Amino acid sequence: MKALVVDDEPLARRELRRLLGAFPSVQIVGEAANIDEARTRIEELSPDIVFLDIQMPGGTGFDLLTQLDRVPRIVFTTAYDQYAVKAFDVNALDYLLKPIEPERLATALRKIEATPSVTTADAPLDQLFIRDGPRCWFVPLPEVSVFTAEGNYVRLRWGKELPLLGRSLAALEEKLDPRRFFRANRSQIVNLDFIRQVELGEGGWLHVQMRDGPEIEVSRRQARLFRARTTLG
Amino acid sequence: MPARVQTGNTLLGYWALQLLGWGFYFYAQASGEVIFAGVSWSKASTLWGVVCLAGMGLTHLLRWTIKFRDWLALPPAAFVIRILAVTLLIATATYLLTSGISQAMHGTPVAPITSAFYQRLTVAGQLRNQYIIILVVHAAWVAIYLAFALQRRRYHAEIRQAQLGEALQAAELRLLKSQLNPHYLFNALNGLRSLIADDPGRAREAVTQLARTLRYTLASGEEDVVSLERELEMVDDYLALESLRLADRLRVERDIAPEARAVRIPTMLLQTMVENAIKHGLAQLKEGGTLRIAAHVVDKELVLQVFNPRPADTAASASGGVGLRNSSERLRLLFGSGASLRLDLSQPGQATAEIRLPL
Repeated sequence: MKALVVDDEPLARRELRRLLGAFPSVQIVGEAANIDEARTRIEELSPDIVFLDIQMPGGTGFDLLTQLDRVPRIVFTTAYDQYAVKAFDVNALDYLLKPIEPERLATALRKIEATPSVTTADAPLDQLFIRDGPRCWFVPLPEVSVFTAEGNYVRLRWGKELPLLGRSLAALEEKLDPRRFFRANRSQIVNLDFIRQVELGEGGWLHVQMRDGPEIEVSRRQARLFRARTTLG
Repeated sequence: MPARVQTGNTLLGYWALQLLGWGFYFYAQASGEVIFAGVSWSKASTLWGVVCLAGMGLTHLLRWTIKFRDWLALPPAAFVIRILAVTLLIATATYLLTSGISQAMHGTPVAPITSAFYQRLTVAGQLRNQYIIILVVHAAWVAIYLAFALQRRRYHAEIRQAQLGEALQAAELRLLKSQLNPHYLFNALNGLRSLIADDPGRAREAVTQLARTLRYTLASGEEDVVSLERELEMVDDYLALESLRLADRLRVERDIAPEARAVRIPTMLLQTMVENAIKHGLAQLKEGGTLRIAAHVVDKELVLQVFNPRPADTAASASGGVGLRNSSERLRLLFGSGASLRLDLSQPGQATAEIRLPL
């Protein structure tokens, strides 16, 4: 496992390096002292796991996650921000309290090794880190039924949650898996797995009923593409 | 609204006792006068009715004075002198009224009931006894009233004391937690753990510095003021530990005038300023910067300044912090309006905290 250590304190980075030295399966590929460095290292080195401090100059560990397309496995390391980590609503993230106890580190690593990440560099996006106001989520994209543009942002329909993503619909569309997601009209992208029923509408439009409730109109321009996709795929 | 209900009950009790007391005195005197002096009920009830109504009015006026001039808050000597003087004054007034009405109705200042009881005394002796009895009645009124009023005051003071104690304890706990600064403490311990392997000598020194800062912080709850010299020692320990964490991102300059060192300042004041300068300023900058501490005596004032760089885009409110607000409040409590704390964020990328203390 390739690991990246992100912390603004040199002593803290050294300490974590020393602790990780006891785990031969972990190979430390780099270090970063702030989130800009960290983003560059993650893009260059594509580590499997990132040990991430929260309070850093120029932005927090959470800020880094919102800027990443492909989020590696994250283990937060924090002196006293465990409450911020616990504030995650659904997918619990690992966190280690500094000074880090070797046993706790071993447990965290075992947990990560048990669920290997399948993400490769050019695979489509499979999850997004979203911070909407005080709440944070790791959203697995196959579980999102509809993406709706709201100005320059995108509202996700994910189970009962409707988090807002700070990107444009066009930028998001480029990163999404084209086999699963389809641009239905100017402002919406739908997850094909969530479609229950399709009806012909007026003027060549298609009327799509989603499994989780909403009804989506597919524009005439996209309808032909849609038929091709759904019958072939 | 329990407080209002209680005031209502107290007022009701007061009037009940007032009417009962004076009513009893009226009935005893008037009926006594009919039985022992053979005066008609209408004459007896007129005399004592007027006297008792006047007594009730005067004592009510006394109660009003005690309450609204807050006599119960006076020191004991001043309180006792006032109470004695006023009791004497209103008793004399009631006595003069009694004698006046008797003179008008019966042709003698001695009330018929008094002359009936003290037949063998001279007129002067009868008048003296008439005065003493009225004085005793008023003194009894004052004694009963004060017994109630003082007990009630003591009872409320105890409740207030208990509530104050609870609030104080909660505030102390909050203060202690904020002073111990868990984020700083655990980061320091983490750095220390690393240092033990890298540089055991420096690690041992750091343990001593950490112990000293913790001891100083805990003691600060007991000592309000401390010499600038002593506070600077604590700040040096604190900065040494912070520079372990921040490494070359933290550079410190000191400019302390010798005559400023002995000046007494609120404990943890400079420490809070330095902590804020690092937390909201230096630690937010990737490159760090130079923290400058200056202390001078100018025009019989201690001028204490902390300069630090800060991110250019932080809003003024974000850099203030609870710590500085608390410091400002403490400064005002300990030194009055002559002292001031000012945080100047007018220059982008730069913060200056300035404290002025009158010597």
